[in-house]
Amino acid sequence: MTMPTAFRRNCYLLLILGALLGAVSSCNKENKEKPGDAAADKSAKSIVIWWFQWAPADGLAELGKEFQAETGIAVNVEQIPLSSYQDKVFLEFGGARTRFDIVVGDSQWIGRGATKGLFVDLTDWFKSVVDLNTIHPRAAKYLCEYPEGSGRWFAAPCETDAVGVAYRKDWFDDAAERVQFKKKYGRELAVPATWDEFKQTAEFFHRPDQKRYGCAMPSDREYDGLTMGVQNLLWAFGGRWHSEENNNVKGFLDTPASAAAVDFFRDLTKLGPKGAERLNYGQVLESFTNGSTAMILNYFAFFPGIYKQFGERVGFAVVPGKDGKRVASLGGQGMSISTKIPPEQQELAKKFIAWFSQRKIQEKWITKPAGFTANTEVLKSTAFRAQTPYNGPFADSVETMRDFWNVPVYNELLAATQRYVGMAVDGEMPTAQALAKLAEEKERILTEAGLLK
Amino acid sequence: MAKTDGGMKWALVAPVLLLLITFNVFPLLYNIVLSFTNAELVGSGSRTVGGANYGRVFADPQFAGALRRTALFVTCAVGAELLLGFSVALALQRAFRGKQAVVTALLVPMMLSPAVIGLFWNLILNGNYGIVNQTLGWLGLPQPQWTTDRDLKFWSILAIDIWMWTPFMMLISLAGLGAIPPSIYEAAEIDRAGRLRVFFKITLPMAAPVLALAVLFRATDALKQFDLVMAVTGPNDSSTQTVSTLIYQIVFRDGKVGLGAAFACVVLVVVVALATVFTRQLDRLRSSEGAP
Repeated sequence: MTMPTAFRRNCYLLLILGALLGAVSSCNKENKEKPGDAAADKSAKSIVIWWFQWAPADGLAELGKEFQAETGIAVNVEQIPLSSYQDKVFLEFGGARTRFDIVVGDSQWIGRGATKGLFVDLTDWFKSVVDLNTIHPRAAKYLCEYPEGSGRWFAAPCETDAVGVAYRKDWFDDAAERVQFKKKYGRELAVPATWDEFKQTAEFFHRPDQKRYGCAMPSDREYDGLTMGVQNLLWAFGGRWHSEENNNVKGFLDTPASAAAVDFFRDLTKLGPKGAERLNYGQVLESFTNGSTAMILNYFAFFPGIYKQFGERVGFAVVPGKDGKRVASLGGQGMSISTKIPPEQQELAKKFIAWFSQRKIQEKWITKPAGFTANTEVLKSTAFRAQTPYNGPFADSVETMRDFWNVPVYNELLAATQRYVGMAVDGEMPTAQALAKLAEEKERILTEAGLLK
Repeated sequence: MAKTDGGMKWALVAPVLLLLITFNVFPLLYNIVLSFTNAELVGSGSRTVGGANYGRVFADPQFAGALRRTALFVTCAVGAELLLGFSVALALQRAFRGKQAVVTALLVPMMLSPAVIGLFWNLILNGNYGIVNQTLGWLGLPQPQWTTDRDLKFWSILAIDIWMWTPFMMLISLAGLGAIPPSIYEAAEIDRAGRLRVFFKITLPMAAPVLALAVLFRATDALKQFDLVMAVTGPNDSSTQTVSTLIYQIVFRDGKVGLGAAFACVVLVVVVALATVFTRQLDRLRSSEGAP
């Protein structure tokens, strides 16, 4: 079979036309890119910082403008939605060059960043520009060093954060409520110092028929919410995720103390608004700001917004303890420099980090929206404590804060924790069984990663 | 001349072939290669690990759970969508005033992005302020936690999928029903065949090949269920995790590209096997009905 000549000619014409269109469009693209902008951009010094979308990132952007005024180096803080932040950052690291120069990475990322060659080793340089003694040892251990406490720095503190308690001071101060509380429990209504008191107080205020609830805590299953909520109780109750000495999990996690902490957490979720067994940080915040909840557990970085809305009607406190033991879940992030940028960009990034780490800048940082510092001199100062009602509890919380795993396989460990602890909280599996299975799963992950022998 | 025609044929086919090789064949082969390595999302260098990844796939209870959940999802979703879609199509078979408007309105859910629908339904089903629970509360009825209760969240996602894709089944069913020659119904009427007899002897058998095709399309689509699960509960929920979200979790959250590739290969084999069995059944059905 042969094609008619006219048809064949039309086909050739179509092919030629297609090729021409392609050529014209690529020429246009080139022309669009040519005019001065790109060249000008290349000559202007600037750095790009990636952080997730929240108030402290706005504060960092404001400080960036001051840095630009001083040095001429522009700072672009790009805010990525939290839900996709981790995925985007690590996908970016999968390429030859990252679009960011500095990433404000979650504390748990540091092991992956350090061992996979993604974060620049700052050890020698950082101690030449900052007195390391001015950085709180817990912030250094969990936010900056890998392995923990090794003295090898892969990040500089940016936002130091911990879990604390926000409570309705006006409800606690209400005379009628105080009388009722004393009548019922035989003690004064006060900010709970222990988890038992916390539960009792939550029970007292839990009045669903009046759309008033006792407490709300992070319990989301998406990334780390449930883990960050539970671990405040786990450590206080004497449980542990693992042995920090040898990474063993069995015998440390699957214990009656850990199970008691998870069960206690599950009981507390019953004293919250509907769906309290699955609230992300924003929803916990919302349960408080909508005026329905007496107490919430959340990161201090969210508290300035609450204070702005409620003023003197809100109070802040450290997380409760048990049998004299109190541990706050660490939050916050450090600034790491990408290895996948040219050396001159790394130098600009270092300039910014050195500038940001100065005490005078840290003093400005704490005045920015939800800016919290790891600088020990600032934390100890009475001026800092007096500045806001949440600064004092924050400074106290820094002394007790601890973090989840930050090894390279943190995400597998986190996902397994979220899954099994979630099953226990949901009643899908008995707590002891869920923790035993979780311990087994974690040891498998750690063994495969060469972190457990 | 014939030689020139051959060149022309290749010139016309080459772009398509090139696209297929670049975007289908190469990624497939590359995925198979990756599945035998310990490649990670970040960090350089990977080494061959033999069949270790496959060993992990078959030993992983999470994978078995996700596979079971996906199978249940496909069976329930496609079954319900077929039943509802075909029923609605039967109701719409006859001409009536405003039929086009009704059909258009019914098609709207299918036109929206699953991710957007997932987010919307998340709000609609929210335990505290969702419109469903607000209405139930107003009527004095219990207000279940649709997207957080461990016994309900899987079924909530299923219900959203059914709401979204029933119109697709309806549309295909309408096309199938429309293709049945009216003369056959006229003959049945002359023979005084009852409604049920007409349905089971004429309507259903003659629409069956088209319905089977629709089931194949929907089943392959439902097997990939990802968007709704991501939007409603996230990829790591033990009650709703499907095979696709499990692979996402492994590759993009844990960064284990090699292991994820092994999971994907196993899923591919399962899907291809199911699709082959199904298409053979479909061919048999078509030939037994004498369909073209």
